[in-house]
Amino acid sequence: MNSRNNDDYIYQYEHIDDGAESARGKRKGTVIAGITALIFCLIIFGVSLLHLLVPDQSFSENENRVLSLMPKFSLSAVADGSFMEDFETYLTDQFPFRDSLISLKTYADRLLGKSKENGVYIGKDGFLFDSPTVYHEGQGKSITDAIRTFQEKNSRLNVTVAIAPNSSYIYSDKLPAYWQPDDQRDYLRKIYILLKGSGVNWIDASKVLAEKAKSSDQLLYYKTDHHWTTAGAYTVFESILEQWKMTTYTKDYAFYTVADDFRGTMASASGVNDVGDRVEICVPKDSEGTYVVEFESKGEKTSSLFFSDRLKNKNKYEVFLGGNYDKVNITTVSPSKNSLLIIKDSYANCMIPMLTPYFNKIVVIDPRYLTDSLDSIIKENSFTHVLFLYNLNTLLEDSSLAECLAG
Amino acid sequence: MVFSSAVFLFVFLPLTLLFYYLLGSRRNSDKDMAAKNLILCIASLIFYAWGEPVYIVLMLISIVFNYNIGMDIEDSAEKPKKAKALLVFSLIFNLAMLGFFKYAGFFAENIAALFGFENRYEPVALPIGISFYTFQIISYVVDVYRKDAKAQRKIIPFACYISMFPQLIAGPIVQYSDIEKQLGSRTVTPEKFYDGIIYFIRGLGKKVLFANTVGAVYSGILADGVGSASVVTAWLGILCYTLQIYFDFSGYSDMAVGLGKMFGFEFVRNFNFPYKATSITDFWRRWHISLSSWFRDYVYIPLGGNRKGTARTVINILIVWSLTGLWHGADWNFIVWGMFYGVLLIAEKYPLRKLLEKTPTCLKYIGTMITVMIGWVFFSSSSLSEAFTFISSLFAFSGNPLIDSQAKYLLSENAFSLVIMILGAVGVFDYVSAREEGRLRKTVKSAMYLCIFVLCVVYLISDTYNPFLYFRF
Repeated sequence: MNSRNNDDYIYQYEHIDDGAESARGKRKGTVIAGITALIFCLIIFGVSLLHLLVPDQSFSENENRVLSLMPKFSLSAVADGSFMEDFETYLTDQFPFRDSLISLKTYADRLLGKSKENGVYIGKDGFLFDSPTVYHEGQGKSITDAIRTFQEKNSRLNVTVAIAPNSSYIYSDKLPAYWQPDDQRDYLRKIYILLKGSGVNWIDASKVLAEKAKSSDQLLYYKTDHHWTTAGAYTVFESILEQWKMTTYTKDYAFYTVADDFRGTMASASGVNDVGDRVEICVPKDSEGTYVVEFESKGEKTSSLFFSDRLKNKNKYEVFLGGNYDKVNITTVSPSKNSLLIIKDSYANCMIPMLTPYFNKIVVIDPRYLTDSLDSIIKENSFTHVLFLYNLNTLLEDSSLAECLAG
Repeated sequence: MVFSSAVFLFVFLPLTLLFYYLLGSRRNSDKDMAAKNLILCIASLIFYAWGEPVYIVLMLISIVFNYNIGMDIEDSAEKPKKAKALLVFSLIFNLAMLGFFKYAGFFAENIAALFGFENRYEPVALPIGISFYTFQIISYVVDVYRKDAKAQRKIIPFACYISMFPQLIAGPIVQYSDIEKQLGSRTVTPEKFYDGIIYFIRGLGKKVLFANTVGAVYSGILADGVGSASVVTAWLGILCYTLQIYFDFSGYSDMAVGLGKMFGFEFVRNFNFPYKATSITDFWRRWHISLSSWFRDYVYIPLGGNRKGTARTVINILIVWSLTGLWHGADWNFIVWGMFYGVLLIAEKYPLRKLLEKTPTCLKYIGTMITVMIGWVFFSSSSLSEAFTFISSLFAFSGNPLIDSQAKYLLSENAFSLVIMILGAVGVFDYVSAREEGRLRKTVKSAMYLCIFVLCVVYLISDTYNPFLYFRF
């Protein structure tokens, strides 16, 4: 520091004692200093060498995406800085032991008491939660208005609405301490009030799921995914049947475990991968060969609502219906005279097989992908029942349902 | 390029060290320094160009211009008028560069608002580090003019001084006379290299493990809206920012000092536990020391300092502190922030002097910290009205609740790490580790620092975790 003046502005010259540097005992430690310096250099040089030696990966299983490769060198890419940017992404994407480092970080965070990782809350017993979507009056109004108008237009149809909450509502005892997510029960009540008097049947899914969660130790939601489990869907399915007074047809159902290492979307988002979820399918007994499934836009027909090849993928929930399609037609050998239109998001995918014994025809549409007009679908088919089956988050985030109903 | 990136740690740093110590070593000591300076200079220019490929031209122009003008000033030592004219010319040139890139947008906006016409001026992107290297250049030409230093006759060491990558982006601001000798000769012992590593890791840890984590908490609180936050949440927010800016900035300075040592340089220390200060004057003796020294040596004292009577001293302090504020950013809230400190420093110097002498230290400490935190509100806000919203939440002026569920969650989530960081910021760990250093202690300390380094890498790489989420369906 300069000592050319002794003006008393804010400085008095003082010796600054350095915490990191101590002159004492220096000679003793030269060997240790040398070894430390050597290890540091070994790390930085070693990582670079490893990087060069280990072949680059083109795809990350863990992150479910294509990894960056070495960018092409060109003067123009250097001049506009894109080469440097791409090179940095390449370097971090192909970093040695990348996956292990990421899971190490989530452990370190939890040691420090952090219970949130990339927006996902880490609850007790391996439960992961995401924040419920916030309810806005306008969104609630536009959805319920659309459903009301739909019921008025099709007054002879039996219209039923079932909206499932998320696991943070049902398993509130597993939430991280002091975290209070928005009250989904309150949101659902608001939607229910807006639908009152429209003639639409309301299934109180949050109530039956909460009761079931209390009385049974079956898992109704995946710990690591944002979907409900087949058991959760079955619980709501039972109360829908009750609403339709179809319990007379009661069938036996069988549950089969098809996977037990499902690490769902919330595991992916957070990087917390310690527990895997069990995936079950639920089928009516002796249902083999009782229906034909037609994926209209793909022009494909199958005899099953399950796609076991999807169990090899990361997103094992796709075992149900093989994912989301704009329109799927299911024709069954059911003696029933009823036919059903399901307007849904992915929550419905695991419930559809349960419904097959009760209808001779089921048309499943997903408004997010549908390009056909809903009116013409209704005209072409003589439906008796309509089921709106949604998860509350999707319903509140998505505008395609209201658009689809408006035609 | 930033230090806390994979490309710096695992490509730039190893390659630079390799070239510097293998290719740069020569038997003849003059040739050795020349080769080392050349390698350092090339490395620094690559470091700068990495993020700013075009602005490198700007820096090269500055280097060539000031290199020549420095020699001219020295050569005109016999003709004071010519020397002064050259000095003024170079100051105008350097400040015009800084003004154009950093302040043109701000002035255009305010002039337009003043005269009521539409502002069509679109500001250009700010070249990284221009505030820092412009001040270093000014220090050079002024030091040469005052004959505090000799003009640098070799362009490579001069370019090295201006562009030196350890302190190019965020300081410390090295005054030329402090480093003149080191440019011509410097040595590295294993001990010095080791100290450099320790300093560097210490800074990297402050940045990656502390500043980044606590910064995420702060931005989370901002995103939820400070206006409606409870009192506890608002204080938690500003506490997080207070810790973030200290660890970020002092971490960067530590890394610079450490890297400097690895290449044989000794830079001044930039921070000395500012959150241990018991008065505002004390705080500014401990915070960003190299900037305050620069303003003292190149603005305050040339203005007459405190030697021209109380009135002039007050005016001088206010000038220095509005400039200090403006240096931090081209916006009104930075000027307000600077003036805030100017006024407080004057108050401590004159009216409050006697009172403060009688006040117990712990009260002075609490008062200082609260004042500094309120200062950070102005500093961190993007506008004055935002700053006042924050202040009103801090003191429940708009009827905010004292505590709510968000505050409880944030507290339970971060209490542990906040306590560790506060202890770190006031120097408890340094107090513990500063005791007699035996062989065992040194081994433990070294192992700990190496672990911190690995942990930093873990956090840095995890930051780029970017899963493709097939979902939301």
